[in-house]
Amino acid sequence: MQISMLAPEIEIALLGLLLLVLGLLLPHKGRGIMGTVTFLGLVIALLLSAAGFGQEEALFNGVYQADSYGSFFKLLFILAGLLVVLSGSAYIQRLGRRANEFYSFLVFALLGMVVMAAAGELITLYIGLELMTISFYILTAYLLNNELSVEAGLKYLILGAISSAVLLFGISLVYAVSGTTVISEIAGHMQFQPAMVAGIILMIAGFAFKLSLVPFHMWAPDIYQGAPIPVTAFLAVGSKAAAFAAFVRVFMLALPLPQFEWGLVLAVLAACTIILGNLVALVQTDIKRLLAYSSIAQAGYILVGMVAGNEYGLKGVLFYAMLYVFSNLGAFAVATAVEVETGSTSIEAFKALGKRSPMLAAIMTVCLLSLAGIPPLAGFVGKFYLFSGAIGAGYLWLAFVGLLMSMVSVYYYLMVAKAMYIGTNDDMTPIKPDTSTRVALWICLAATVLIGVYPAPLSALAQTAIQLF
Amino acid sequence: MLSDYSTIGIFLMLTLAFPLAAMGMAWAVRPKPKCKPDDEKLLPYECGVDTIGRTWSRFKVNYFLYALVFLAFDVETIFLFPWAVKFSQLGLFAFVEMLLFIGILLIGLWYAWKEGALEWH
Amino acid sequence: MIDLTAYLLLGTVLFGIGVYGVLSKRNAVGVLMSVELMLNAVNINFIAVNKFVASSQVIGQLFAIFIIVVAAAEVAVGLALILAIFRQKKSVDLNDFNLLKW
Repeated sequence: MQISMLAPEIEIALLGLLLLVLGLLLPHKGRGIMGTVTFLGLVIALLLSAAGFGQEEALFNGVYQADSYGSFFKLLFILAGLLVVLSGSAYIQRLGRRANEFYSFLVFALLGMVVMAAAGELITLYIGLELMTISFYILTAYLLNNELSVEAGLKYLILGAISSAVLLFGISLVYAVSGTTVISEIAGHMQFQPAMVAGIILMIAGFAFKLSLVPFHMWAPDIYQGAPIPVTAFLAVGSKAAAFAAFVRVFMLALPLPQFEWGLVLAVLAACTIILGNLVALVQTDIKRLLAYSSIAQAGYILVGMVAGNEYGLKGVLFYAMLYVFSNLGAFAVATAVEVETGSTSIEAFKALGKRSPMLAAIMTVCLLSLAGIPPLAGFVGKFYLFSGAIGAGYLWLAFVGLLMSMVSVYYYLMVAKAMYIGTNDDMTPIKPDTSTRVALWICLAATVLIGVYPAPLSALAQTAIQLF
Repeated sequence: MLSDYSTIGIFLMLTLAFPLAAMGMAWAVRPKPKCKPDDEKLLPYECGVDTIGRTWSRFKVNYFLYALVFLAFDVETIFLFPWAVKFSQLGLFAFVEMLLFIGILLIGLWYAWKEGALEWH
Repeated sequence: MIDLTAYLLLGTVLFGIGVYGVLSKRNAVGVLMSVELMLNAVNINFIAVNKFVASSQVIGQLFAIFIIVVAAAEVAVGLALILAIFRQKKSVDLNDFNLLKW
């Protein structure tokens, strides 16, 4: 076993500690560099994990997996973290004295996600999960003087703790039947027993909470609305992808049970999630809530790929999770820029954005259309993989529901575009985002278009990553 | 089956017998009072200051901060127990690992200190 | 000898009491305590399973230790948040936290 295989994780952990210590040591004026330090540290982590891509090794007797599947998600999380830091730096600066802790918690949340995606064993998975969610509880409630933020934080904490407990109870039942918590060993000890079925169902419920699948989605819009907007962005993209990474690994590798087809349970959950998420999004007037319901629906689409469970479907899960980072963070970056400027997150604030800042409006439109799955943007390719996987696995009805609801989603995404281009606004001062936000926006735009036009490289990457199934 | 419970039963009887024996002993050897105990005598504490207010009063929030810091560090040390039990078999690597762990904890303590969580305002 | 089923039943009942507490308590501190009860029910499960099913390794005990630690961290954050919200609203009743619709 080589410790060098853990280089990205160790680097991220050290970065988090460094940020914490720097915040204490630096004089008040010097704290402007915290964002730069975070950015550089994450770039190093990105390079380290890119260099480690392709190795397949089980560390500590299978407790930690250094494989391409984990590496793919590692890249995804670090990219998401980078984009959030870039696009959120203007917002985070306004927090003043407490900005350094904010960066530090972001980095620790990132570490939790990385551990979740690479965990080969349920204790490790749980630790990663809790590191991520506890960091997010704090981040959500970060605006201590803002009632919405603190309330959202407390709600997130209570619901998150309950869902963790449910997940753990499920794990304990699976452990009771199989006698092990190492994911690759559980499958060998599977028996069809009531305790096992109950354990699987409880685990599904626990994960569904984390993924905000209907009917466990109630918390998501509230928390998304109350949290500071960079946190919302990271929560929507990162924590969801992390939960999917763990969900897919555990269920595909550890819990195949011929007598109990949990695929069908997931299919029903996916259908409900897609339908409800899209329909409720239609009536939202706050951009954060709209994106929250949209992200509930998107989680439903990704789940379709997991239900399919075949090569296309699983490839679609990874592919979609990655493009979702760019498209969704692009939309959130625009929303952040608008909030920094206007102090509002309602869709009203977006009126006439096409004239106030043509670039912001254009990027927002492209990102939203990609989320809706319009060709030739990235979202279309992702949905193509997901739905053809579902059809290949015999879930024709599920693919149909997904397609139908994708069409519905175009409506509310275009409502935002309509407000931006047709609406009029009293305040017509141009909005000029700062340089780092612009960089983030261009990255999101370029990736969204590029993946849509030329999906082969990402597709090949996802193909390598799903070899273990 | 029964022997499992009998251990508990014996313990239960012992725990009951012990305080009873102690109190009985105290009752037997104490100097017998010449007069009836008055109010002063029946106070919870005979000496010191009289208590003010009710027991269910609000505590200053600073206690709370201490409690939080204490809770975090107290529970983290639970990891020292399995490590200590197996210490002789684990070797140098585990020792270094534990030093790292304690080091990170110390950074946390230092952070709490610098942030003023240990100050009494 | 008490067998595994009894322990698992105890765990399940405790878990159920915890769920009931979470759903019925309106005091935020009470809800946190109920969540603790749920987590401790899980701990009982793990320890019992470790003893009866897979006693060659101590996975279950380890898991319980990790759960205890994480639960402490969670409660510390939770109490701090309750304190923050109490400063604003002078209340820890969940029914008063209604700025965000559930």
